[in-house]
Amino acid sequence: MFSEINLSIDSAISSGAKYADARILISKSRNIAAKNGEIENLNENEKIGIGVRALVGSSWGFYSTYDLSNESLKQAGKKSFEIAKASSTVSGEELPFADIPVVEDSYTTPHDENPFSVSSSEQIDLLLSSTEKMKKLGSSRAFGRLDFWDTEKWFASSQGHKIYQNIIESGGGISSLSVGDGETQIRSYPQSFGEYRTGGWEVVKSFEFENHLERLSQESQRLLVAPQCPQGTMDLILEGSQLALQIHESVGHAIELDRILGWEAAYAGTSHLDLKKLNKHKYGSELMNIIADATLPGALATFKYDDEGTPAQRVDIVKEGIWTGVLSGRDSAAVAGVPPGGMVRADGFGRLPMVRMTNVGLLPGDSSLEEIIEATDEGVYMETNRSWSIDDLRLNFQFGCEAGWLVKNGKIIDMVKNPTYTGITPEFWGNMDMLSGEEEWIFWGTPNCGKGQPSQIGHTGHPASPARFKNTRIGVRG
Amino acid sequence: MKIWEDLLQDIEKNIPSGTECELKMMHSKSALTRFANSQIHQNVDEESADVFLTLHKDSKTITISANLTALKNPMEFVSKAMDSLKSSPIDKGWAGLPDSSESFSGLSKIDESTPDERANKVKEFVSEGKQMNAAGYCSSYTNNYFVWNTNGLNSSDSSSSAFIDGIFRTESSAGSSHRGGILLSDIKAQQAGNEAAKLAIDGENPEDIEPGNYEVILGHEAVSTILVFLGVYGFNAKSKIDGMSPINLDEKQFDEQINLIDTPEDDDSIGFKIDASGAKKKNLEIVKDGVSKSYFHTRRTAKELNAENTFHELFGWGENFGGIGTNLKLLGGNVSREEMIKSVKKGIYINEFWYCRVLDPITQVVTGLNRNGSFLIENGKITKPIGRLRFTQSFMASLAPGNILSVGNKSRYADSEFGEGMLRVPALHLKEFNFTGGVSG
Repeated sequence: MFSEINLSIDSAISSGAKYADARILISKSRNIAAKNGEIENLNENEKIGIGVRALVGSSWGFYSTYDLSNESLKQAGKKSFEIAKASSTVSGEELPFADIPVVEDSYTTPHDENPFSVSSSEQIDLLLSSTEKMKKLGSSRAFGRLDFWDTEKWFASSQGHKIYQNIIESGGGISSLSVGDGETQIRSYPQSFGEYRTGGWEVVKSFEFENHLERLSQESQRLLVAPQCPQGTMDLILEGSQLALQIHESVGHAIELDRILGWEAAYAGTSHLDLKKLNKHKYGSELMNIIADATLPGALATFKYDDEGTPAQRVDIVKEGIWTGVLSGRDSAAVAGVPPGGMVRADGFGRLPMVRMTNVGLLPGDSSLEEIIEATDEGVYMETNRSWSIDDLRLNFQFGCEAGWLVKNGKIIDMVKNPTYTGITPEFWGNMDMLSGEEEWIFWGTPNCGKGQPSQIGHTGHPASPARFKNTRIGVRG
Repeated sequence: MKIWEDLLQDIEKNIPSGTECELKMMHSKSALTRFANSQIHQNVDEESADVFLTLHKDSKTITISANLTALKNPMEFVSKAMDSLKSSPIDKGWAGLPDSSESFSGLSKIDESTPDERANKVKEFVSEGKQMNAAGYCSSYTNNYFVWNTNGLNSSDSSSSAFIDGIFRTESSAGSSHRGGILLSDIKAQQAGNEAAKLAIDGENPEDIEPGNYEVILGHEAVSTILVFLGVYGFNAKSKIDGMSPINLDEKQFDEQINLIDTPEDDDSIGFKIDASGAKKKNLEIVKDGVSKSYFHTRRTAKELNAENTFHELFGWGENFGGIGTNLKLLGGNVSREEMIKSVKKGIYINEFWYCRVLDPITQVVTGLNRNGSFLIENGKITKPIGRLRFTQSFMASLAPGNILSVGNKSRYADSEFGEGMLRVPALHLKEFNFTGGVSG
């Protein structure tokens, strides 16, 4: 494949590009969705194509095509240059580009069973039996889904990179929906929208859906008759997957260097963070230690090189509450004067690589969920995300969860429905005073992170364990 | 298009007898020129050709898809689908294939825009902001869609669209605007730039106000967002089947000034005249004088609810997503924006919503924020720009009987945070809208 890629790269460079790189991808996906013991969707997809990127002056030009004939590959390189050159009508200062080691290497996601080698009927049966049982247990609707991706990437650059990677991702989830009088309640496992990791069929088997069907069905029905979540300012305890999304929205996006530099201002927004305050800004309490680590075995955003050929690495983002790092690529890092972090990825061959979260997680503390509940006089423990919203500076957020549990005098005393909480990012993280330890630290995965124009879907990881936040506004309702 | 004709010929001869088959291909050229900090920084162009093959036999169904390069050998492609079909479960929801009477021929040659033409549109937009910081995109698309099935249908259609969307930012404010059309030449980039620049300048040094219930005037983009939610969660028949839709047909659920139609047959509508099944779409009344009249159906939802198919199946999603109206038009009223403002004693003007998410689909309670142009209105005049507010508000209730004070007299294609705007809407003046939080949370 590298000789084909070089046809495009050489064409872009000979046309006048300062730098060019390209990726050929073979992307396979299998998506299965079931409802009430029947299949709702079963699709297998395969795409092959090339995306060529050329840097000219202050702009990237990018051209992608499914056509891998020699003539098309040469044209793709030329077009990427011409597209970049057209940007000169509204241009700025020349875009700098940070150096990285030039390597030839290969990598395959460690896995036991490739999910595409497993019979689809085995995967279908798991969903059919799970959703059928929940329906029989009284769920109004029982949903399940499994998704698998097997992506082969060949990356080369005009600087001499030659990198092959085979990334395998697997996951899914089940949900029980109960419909009441003018309301719906839902319970999901392992988290809302499913849990995803790098790895094979073993990832899904480890979820053991069969051990959670009864609980999900019962809890969604119980929520219909549960009292409303109390309103007020009190202690909030977050279960790990909800805390993972809290990290994603209020930390992960805020530290994206392209947002900080204004490159995403019109759509995704910018950030409340100012580079002048790097290593000074207080992001949260001393318990807050955030890392971006693309090397964590099994986490969803684990790889060996990003889509610019920069090695995967671990970067400290927040240390003992102080903001210390960003998510960057070769261009944004050079503009900001920081080392390139290897955090640039694209959603397929047809999309321009952009800054993406890797595994942005909260390092564990030394407590446990049990100890946190025992230490809480009055508060609500919230599980599993149901809604999320945050402003375009990543400051003002409001989350809703599927289930809440009222905590009084160190004990869970009742289930409550429609739990929500709201806050302002630095104040909220500043109020984190208890954090569970490594035993409850899970590599949560988010497979549906939207960013960029044209729209791209990113797969990001968020290691987290349960934590407590003091003085949080709880129970916002319409 | 030759690649389609060749593909169809190769696939058709490999379909085993007694097997129902549907073959679809979307050939697209899409381009997007993106600008930030008042310069073009990303400029992309893509050519794609995606093929979907659905087979149904012995009450089992399978769909496999690939782009043209991955498809490699048509015989192997069909053979792979037949193998997968054997291990598929019984498909009780199969609703058959449209027949030859639904065939449509709309294929036409559409000129693509060039990177230079898009860059010029960006320049027109950016120049309206003088020294302000501009960001946004200008995009253009041409699509050719083909569908064939063993029930005799053979349809094709072409469509094009173009959009510009951008913001200007100052130290303390931002203003945005949007334009959409069928061709890039339709796009009035300078006009959009002028609107966005004015909102940014007028919005400088905003003041925070207390959250609470306010009378509001919603600009085009804010109205568009409400309709996207009601379209996906409310009028989507699959949502009704799943118990999540608040819509009940023939009930007066909206104010009598709300008249919503889907207009795929109109000449100025963006998109295809056929749905993903290849059947011709028809204009459809969704809300008439506040009364809910129809859901958006696909073959399967129509079968399950024993209703007539409205042909709102989306390409690429199969029927998993349900029926989606892609040419929604909220009929305009007779009140100008200026008259709306004059009639407000105390209220808020909102240009655009941001990051809206549903708390419970059946109540359509949504939380989100305002951005890119929000102002306090006092005694018939805009008195000052305001900062961020968070709302937690039922979108059903926002359009409910009695809550619509007036409907704007100017409609246009409007954007939402969920993508390029294909909805045509006017501004709306609402009696109440519930803001639950301010800048301090």
